[in-house]
Amino acid sequence: MKKFIKKTSVLLVLLLVVTQLVSFFSLYILRQSTFYKPNFLVNGLKRDNYDYVILGASTGLTTLDSKLIDSITNLQGVNLSMDDTNLASHYLMLKHFIAEGKTLKYCIIAPSNMSYNVSQTPLSNNDYRFLMYINRDYVLDHYSHFKSDTAKRLYYSKWFPFLGLSYYNTELFYPSLISAIKPHKRNRFDDLGNYSYPTHKNRMTKVKKKEAIVVSFESDYLKKIKLLCDAYQIKLICYLSPTESQPIDVYSKDYLFINHSNLIKNSDLFYDDIHVNGKGRQVASEAFSKVFMDIVE
Amino acid sequence: MIFNSLDFAIFLPIVFFLYWFVCNKTVARQNVLVVVASYVFYGWWDYRFLALILFSTIVDFGIGRLLLRTDVQKKRKLLLGISISINLGLLGFFKYYNFFADSFVDVFRFFGQTIQANTLDIILPVGISFYTFQTLSYTIDVYRKKLEPTSNFIEFAAFVSFFPQLVAGPIERATNLLPQFRQKRVFKYAEAMDGVYLVIWGLFKKVVIADNCAFFVNQIFNTPGQFSSLELFLGAVLFGFQIYGDFSGYSDIAIGTSRLFGLKLLTNFRFPYFSRDIAEFWRRWHISLSNWFRDYLYIPFGGSRGSKGEQIRNVFIIFLVSGLWHGANWTYVIWGGIHAILFLPLILFNAHKKYLVKTKMTSAQIPFMLLTFIMVTIAWIYFRSDTVDIANAYLGSLFYNLDVFSLDLFYNSSKSLLFSVISFTGILILLIMEFLNAKKGHEEVRLSFTTALGVMIIIVFMGTFKNPQDFIYFQF
Repeated sequence: MKKFIKKTSVLLVLLLVVTQLVSFFSLYILRQSTFYKPNFLVNGLKRDNYDYVILGASTGLTTLDSKLIDSITNLQGVNLSMDDTNLASHYLMLKHFIAEGKTLKYCIIAPSNMSYNVSQTPLSNNDYRFLMYINRDYVLDHYSHFKSDTAKRLYYSKWFPFLGLSYYNTELFYPSLISAIKPHKRNRFDDLGNYSYPTHKNRMTKVKKKEAIVVSFESDYLKKIKLLCDAYQIKLICYLSPTESQPIDVYSKDYLFINHSNLIKNSDLFYDDIHVNGKGRQVASEAFSKVFMDIVE
Repeated sequence: MIFNSLDFAIFLPIVFFLYWFVCNKTVARQNVLVVVASYVFYGWWDYRFLALILFSTIVDFGIGRLLLRTDVQKKRKLLLGISISINLGLLGFFKYYNFFADSFVDVFRFFGQTIQANTLDIILPVGISFYTFQTLSYTIDVYRKKLEPTSNFIEFAAFVSFFPQLVAGPIERATNLLPQFRQKRVFKYAEAMDGVYLVIWGLFKKVVIADNCAFFVNQIFNTPGQFSSLELFLGAVLFGFQIYGDFSGYSDIAIGTSRLFGLKLLTNFRFPYFSRDIAEFWRRWHISLSNWFRDYLYIPFGGSRGSKGEQIRNVFIIFLVSGLWHGANWTYVIWGGIHAILFLPLILFNAHKKYLVKTKMTSAQIPFMLLTFIMVTIAWIYFRSDTVDIANAYLGSLFYNLDVFSLDLFYNSSKSLLFSVISFTGILILLIMEFLNAKKGHEEVRLSFTTALGVMIIIVFMGTFKNPQDFIYFQF
């Protein structure tokens, strides 16, 4: 029995050592890369001072084209939105941005429209993209706020990175291999963080227009973002992106918002119910620029 | 509780410790621990099902005792009949009630009559097909006087509920497992290490092969009409590896875990995809079920004795029942029927014993292996499809498709490409390891310390942990 315990222990220790080493190395490579937005922010942004930053989910990523907005407004901005994220992720991204010593004047929040009403924001599916910065307090703090098993796995990755790396092996380990070969590779976004859906529609059936629903900005994390913005004299703008079937009514005295949920009527400008396509993005970005200029002026 | 979960990773060392360090004084204590641990393991899914397994255990234990007390053949037959009725009754009610009710309605509809049948909202208890067959084997063997019935209820309960193989086999025979619960168990280093390595290899098959293949298989089988012939063919091939990785992986983990407790389970798979004909495939695939049907159904019906007509009838009975055992759906019955048809030429030409498991493999036999694999793969289409119509459409698209050679699905996004690389690399590793071990005449893949470490590292970086799939055979 002693021999058995000794041998299985050695096997486990060796496994732990090897996987820990590989995981440390993977995260190190990703930290040097521009693969995901948090790495792009650190290694890919050319400037330290921005007029605006767009922080959003897939809607923010695919609706607002910072290149087009820059060309219309003569401002300098970047899109740091990530698909499948929520206001908690945007809060973390803003902290990450500030921690990097960068400054901005306007923070444009563009989550999925209904996120504004979620009072208890969960860990988003793509928050693992901050894992390579687990040694920074604000990232560890972020993971510690959630009770899910996934959040715990990410949290304990500070000491045992193989926990996060094995769980997200296709999302972290393999991208680290790609980044080792191509350090400047970006995961489907351009040099200012933009991405566009193709012009074809993602579904065949026509959607029915629904009754308008009310967004009242009850999100716990929106309050945190507001406080953080206030602390750094950043002006917060809440953006509601166009949807094909779900108009939104907004009532708020506390937040500055741009409600473009009902902006686009033409179904051909949508990729699916809540995402515009390339043409829709142009229309939405132009409309946004106009309103944004009014705010800036 | 599933094997590839954190719960089990905590549960197993605790039970192991208690078994060898706390309850090691007597066999009886160890058996009590096995029963308690098994009921915790099973109750983890749904504690209500424990009543069912306890009921089945009490019934068959009682009938075993009654069979010992009487030599009157009529009475013995009656007792056996009661055991079979109760066990198959439970199985029939939980697994087949809705199937037969729906089929009945369909038959009447076919003849222009409309009848109403009430279907029930029944949850299928996990592993009911496995432990039902296991307890049945006990009463049948006691009835046939091949086995002395046990007088120790805990011993019998441990045999019925032994957690490593409770929910997905191997379907143990009382003649093999029950006597082991009577003997004093001595910890053997080599056996335990073999067990650990087998568990590791089983996990590799499950989380690297099966769960990664599922990524493509689910997409292809959900909407077969959208894919090219080649994609459909690869979908069926990948399902072949998914179900093999899933089921044989479970068996490996079960057998390996049992060895940690000094108990030997029956071999359930012997490299089935190296079979040279269908008969050999069934000597290598789900062996514990094949042997069960052979001993309790095929041979009582006459087996391969009698006329050709009787032999063919027996083959069809075995395969159709085997199909139905897998699930309450006509797709399984047709799957069984296809295997029976593939078996026919071997029976007709007396070639069904040409390739025994120990018959040496040669490179000249590779074309026969490929042919057998393709036949098995085509049959899997019925096994995996939700309905016969979908399976027919799948087969139709496989052979009549405007888009024949496209492989878009496997590389149309970085995610797909990644899963392709992982799945096919995993399958390649599997085939190489199995081939090397089969050549050496091993019954299972044997790992060394170094290869075990390598496989574990592969599991960590190639396994699916974020979206684990349930073991497929749990549904049976």
